[in-house]
Amino acid sequence: MKNIITVKNLTKKYSGKTTVDGVSFSVKEGEVFGILGPNGAGKTTTLEMIEALRPIDGGSVKLDGLDVAKDPNEVKKIIGIQLQSTAFFDKLSLREQLELFDGLYDETTDPNTLLEYVQLTDKSKSYVEQLSGGQKQRFSIAAALVNKPRVLFLDEPTTGLDPQARRNLWDLITNIKKQGITVVLTTHYMDEAELLCDRIAIMDNGKIITIDTPKNLIKALIKRGFTKPQVVEQANLEDVFIDLTGKDLRE
Amino acid sequence: MERYLTATYALTKAYLIRFFRDKTAMFFTFLFPLLFLFVFGSLNSGGGDVSFNIAMINKSDSSFSEQFATQLRENDVFDVTSDTQDFEVAREAMGRSEIDSIIILPEGFGELNDRQQPSGSVEVYYSEAAPQSGQTIAAVMEGALEGINRELGQPEAPLTVAQKSTATSNLSNFDYVFAGLLGFSILSLGIFGLANQMPAEKKTGSFRRLRASPIRKSQLIFANMIYYLFIGVLSVALMFAVATWMFDFDMRGDWFNLVVFIILGIVTMFGFGLAIGGWAKNENQSAALTNIVAFPMMFLSGVFFPRFLMPEWLQGITAYLPLSPIIDGLRMIMTEAKTLLDLGPELLVIGGWLVLIYAIAIRIFRWE
Repeated sequence: MKNIITVKNLTKKYSGKTTVDGVSFSVKEGEVFGILGPNGAGKTTTLEMIEALRPIDGGSVKLDGLDVAKDPNEVKKIIGIQLQSTAFFDKLSLREQLELFDGLYDETTDPNTLLEYVQLTDKSKSYVEQLSGGQKQRFSIAAALVNKPRVLFLDEPTTGLDPQARRNLWDLITNIKKQGITVVLTTHYMDEAELLCDRIAIMDNGKIITIDTPKNLIKALIKRGFTKPQVVEQANLEDVFIDLTGKDLRE
Repeated sequence: MERYLTATYALTKAYLIRFFRDKTAMFFTFLFPLLFLFVFGSLNSGGGDVSFNIAMINKSDSSFSEQFATQLRENDVFDVTSDTQDFEVAREAMGRSEIDSIIILPEGFGELNDRQQPSGSVEVYYSEAAPQSGQTIAAVMEGALEGINRELGQPEAPLTVAQKSTATSNLSNFDYVFAGLLGFSILSLGIFGLANQMPAEKKTGSFRRLRASPIRKSQLIFANMIYYLFIGVLSVALMFAVATWMFDFDMRGDWFNLVVFIILGIVTMFGFGLAIGGWAKNENQSAALTNIVAFPMMFLSGVFFPRFLMPEWLQGITAYLPLSPIIDGLRMIMTEAKTLLDLGPELLVIGGWLVLIYAIAIRIFRWE
């Protein structure tokens, strides 16, 4: 598979402090690529530089052959972005928001199709400020799909969601992957990364420590002699929660 | 190009929908200029039971003249506030708007004519800036003299009133003031209204989301301008309606010329709001900058008093403030029936500011 994103030596400095320190990696077309790391590791900054939302201080990013620093607008045309803090205009219905984005991209994607895709058909006349957390995230993804992007960026898409909404969003992301759209996401949740991501990069202090598939990373750890006290559990508390409350979305 | 317009149009439409859904904002946006119009319009249209401050100069030594002067002092309509007998001193007082009119009982006033009746003409001087009060005073005076004339039983009135002013047209004071009021509302809409909107959007983060799409700064600025132009035109139209119905606004010029000129003025003034709002990171910055930009224009561009009352050197400088040619031009079209062709110098200053401010606005715009 060919690389759709190639990041080389990417660097960002804020008043002398290096937030992103010479990061290099590549993302293959069609995969779900996860960037993991504690708060302040530089995940969001890295993502925003790739998305042409933040000036690049050093290094380069190529996205589908385009140089992000030189062609930010061309890059924006082929990517979809879901920002960490979801912010849309107020007093505009979901349908009107999507029509606005249609206009901004000069696209004619039918808002109804997108809303149906993210299960928000019955909310088409609601304002964003009236949505629940999970609905907001799903709408945010719908808005990011208006321009039929080649790459979709999701910045902590499931943070703050209840277990049902998280599972629902995982299904949505899996669906998007099936359409052949490359997904780059950041997350704090290891179960999420393990379930969704083909490959993950772990970042800390502005640097990438390791990149591999979740399975290989676990294997490598065990090879290094890592052992965990073996507790054979048939289920965990989340299983209990889901068993009792069901998988159905609550919103 | 087409994509540029599609995106700008989509954004303009979104802004307009949002504006008309925000009932509170809408209410105040339209109400504020109207309130302003009511207050200043009422002040300048002269209420019914208003008394006039006058200076009375009695140059005659006839006893009739003396009696007439005493009666005038006791009259409720007139307040003789100046005791000066010097016409020049009185005229300066009128220039400072301390008095509304000067009444002169000329030499020989009240002396008996060949029919042995007191005769003569009362001279009423009034300020060109306030022709209405001058006319009212003359009318009151005529009424008083008519009574005396009737008592004297004369077929031809021996006592008359002579109105003196260089003002020839009978435009009301309101018609003069209206241009300033329009200028002020365009200024406050464009600078106070618009400049704070973009920093608020930056705070909610909606600009960040827009930025993720391939939209350019200029598209965002033009979309904001077009959206607010609708609101500005609507607000100004409301002001014209109120001015016509409540203050008998008398339009002398051509409406088409006026509309074109007003749109040009609105677009120019809005450029300042857009530049400030686009640059400011938050509302504190925009509020401070708004005051710095707006206050000189408010006091030096002829909003509250006409620029021709300023010293010459100050008139020369303030002519280049962006709001000055807008108010001057409005006044010239509305009261002197000038057309755009007559307004070359004004259009030149406005056009210069228009190009400059939008170039600056696009340049200094910050997404967050």
